[in-house]
Amino acid sequence: MLAYAGGDLLAFEMLYRRHRGLLYRFLLRNLRQRADADELFQETWSRLIAARERYRPEAKFSTWLLQIAHNLMVDRFRRQRPQASAEETETVLRNLDAPESEQPERALSEFEQRRRLQLALEELPEEQRVAFLLRIESGLGLDEIGEITGAGRETVKSRLRYALARIRARLAT
Amino acid sequence: MSTPRKPDDELERLLADDGGELGALYRRLPRMEPPRRLDRNVLNEAARAIHGRPPRRQRWLVGLGSAAGIVLAAGVAWHVGQDALQQPGYERARNAPTYVPVQPIDPSARRKQTNAPASADAVSPHPAPTAAPAAPAAPIEYQHSRSAQIVDRLKKETTARSPPPLPPPSIATPPPPPAPARQSDPFFSAENADSAASAAGAAKAEAKGDLAGSAAREKESAAGTDASAARAEKPARSATGPAPTTSAELRRDMQLAPQDWLAHIQQLLRQGRRQQAIESLQLFRRAHPDWQLSDDLRALSD
Repeated sequence: MLAYAGGDLLAFEMLYRRHRGLLYRFLLRNLRQRADADELFQETWSRLIAARERYRPEAKFSTWLLQIAHNLMVDRFRRQRPQASAEETETVLRNLDAPESEQPERALSEFEQRRRLQLALEELPEEQRVAFLLRIESGLGLDEIGEITGAGRETVKSRLRYALARIRARLAT
Repeated sequence: MSTPRKPDDELERLLADDGGELGALYRRLPRMEPPRRLDRNVLNEAARAIHGRPPRRQRWLVGLGSAAGIVLAAGVAWHVGQDALQQPGYERARNAPTYVPVQPIDPSARRKQTNAPASADAVSPHPAPTAAPAAPAAPIEYQHSRSAQIVDRLKKETTARSPPPLPPPSIATPPPPPAPARQSDPFFSAENADSAASAAGAAKAEAKGDLAGSAAREKESAAGTDASAARAEKPARSATGPAPTTSAELRRDMQLAPQDWLAHIQQLLRQGRRQQAIESLQLFRRAHPDWQLSDDLRALSD
């Protein structure tokens, strides 16, 4: 990124090729609408290009890129925030305590599991989905997720726990 | 009997390098990629940011630069205009009166000028433009003929009205400017010629105004009544009618005794100089308002 800020366009192309899929999937899984994902994908890169002079090498490039995308998504979510109902939350909490032999996902086919995982991700609350995707898609640790989302380490852990519980519940139904 | 699933254990597996079983399941999901058009848009924007136009947030600099350029151009244009105004050629051209070169009226003076044009140029404070010396020839002839006609007409009128030559009184109209001075200036304008012709009439009118004023003063001293002043206005207004005779003649008439003045008027009538007789009689009535006129003179004055 420093090379690009100095005028090296090839350096930017390398960065782009490396992170384009990761960013796009992160956006698409969160926004669920391809048009929205396309719009925020381009807007994220535009913000990054405009702010190239302010990049500091102390931060990982992927963290910086995802932070920009996350901020844009938060703005979008604030305009159309999905809320989990109390009943959905209760179902998740019950499944957390269910015996492993009674977990229904074991009997499902792999195809059905992938479909349900997709549905589970779409149904996750925004903060839990972001934390889960930052972990599972981008491979970020708790601290990096906290840096991007502006949350503390324990808060990130809590969001990940709730996300796991909801996904398990969705896979069981 | 199975043990409940521990959330922390699942979290630990999720945070492992491979993401646990959920990580494995997630990696089997379709891996979507951004469309090509997005790649082109982003890469083009990155290239423009480096090589092309400035970023959007710096567009105000472009506007500021444009405004500064306009102000600078306006300032330079203003200074250039000021410099042009301060150049001596422009000042001379701007302040120079518009002279129309004409030939002198007097034929003798014209002959003199044609004989010595160089000396006339040397005397003239406004030398003729050298760019087109032969071009004003036609206007000169036109202006000269026009002014000459006016002056000739005035001369004829004066000659027709004026009595036989008499010795000029001391208070006569000042003589016209010396002819050589005007003849030496080949650029005597037609406008000045007209004004010169009209100046002769104006001088006469002024002299007659002086006469009217002096007559009124004399009448006031003689009668001392307001009615006489009102009567005195009538001849003053009538002075704007037919062309009067010369002020020298009228002033000479005023110096005569009343009986002699009336006899002189009668003589003018006998000589057929009726207009001059009327003017002299009007002046007589202003000077002597209580004088009993004969019937024929009273009818003439009314």
